Amino acid sequence: MSEHTFEAQTGPETLAEIQRTLDAAWSEDDVPDDTRMCIELAVSEIGTNIIEYSGDGQPVRLRMVVAVRPESVAVTFTDDGHPAPVDLARISMPGDTAESGRGLALAHRVLDELSYSRDKNGNHWTLIRRRSE
Amino acid sequence: MGDFSTRTTGSGVVVVQPTGRLNMVAAPTLRKQLNDIVDGGASRIVVDLSSTEFIDSSGLGALIAALKIARNAGGDLRIAAPTKQVCTVLELSNLDRVLRTYASADSAFDE
Repeated sequence: MSEHTFEAQTGPETLAEIQRTLDAAWSEDDVPDDTRMCIELAVSEIGTNIIEYSGDGQPVRLRMVVAVRPESVAVTFTDDGHPAPVDLARISMPGDTAESGRGLALAHRVLDELSYSRDKNGNHWTLIRRRSE
Repeated sequence: MGDFSTRTTGSGVVVVQPTGRLNMVAAPTLRKQLNDIVDGGASRIVVDLSSTEFIDSSGLGALIAALKIARNAGGDLRIAAPTKQVCTVLELSNLDRVLRTYASADSAFDE
């Protein structure tokens, strides 16, 4: 079991730093390939959403925590941007010719839990994937 | 970010090979590059995904946008040799029905 944290103002390097944080987690714990792949995809999608929309293109303060547990991998994101206008109960994959709008649907599909909440500290996203054996 | 490497086959098909991670950082580069290829008069394009270690919805969006402009120009966009991660994401997004996959870039327009 381990925990890895990354914190920064969002910018062009943020997605790469997020991935490096996951790589550090994978190097310390033996996590199955399939679980890694699902987490990496979901983290890229939610991270992209935060970077692109949470500050309307402006940087936001982002904190990421990766917790590798015996049964699962959990990633939480906190940012100080504006509320995310999402309804996770109504996520669907857009049509075949859509050029955008697949991110949340893909994240939802590869996770066992995807949740969003908003409080005085900002936006909180929780992503959980059980280890596949 | 620089452009991805391209080559033209003997039958005039343009092959583009994105490397690394096709996410929100790299997708706009690929999207513009594919757009420029069609603007330049070529409309049969293969995106060789053998060196693409990761794709997400941003990368998928670039491929779908380019597929549409290639078809509008009378051609097509096909993908070749996707890695396991790319195959999985294509299936998850149901785009494996739209983006036909070929074993190699050089044979993608053979049929």
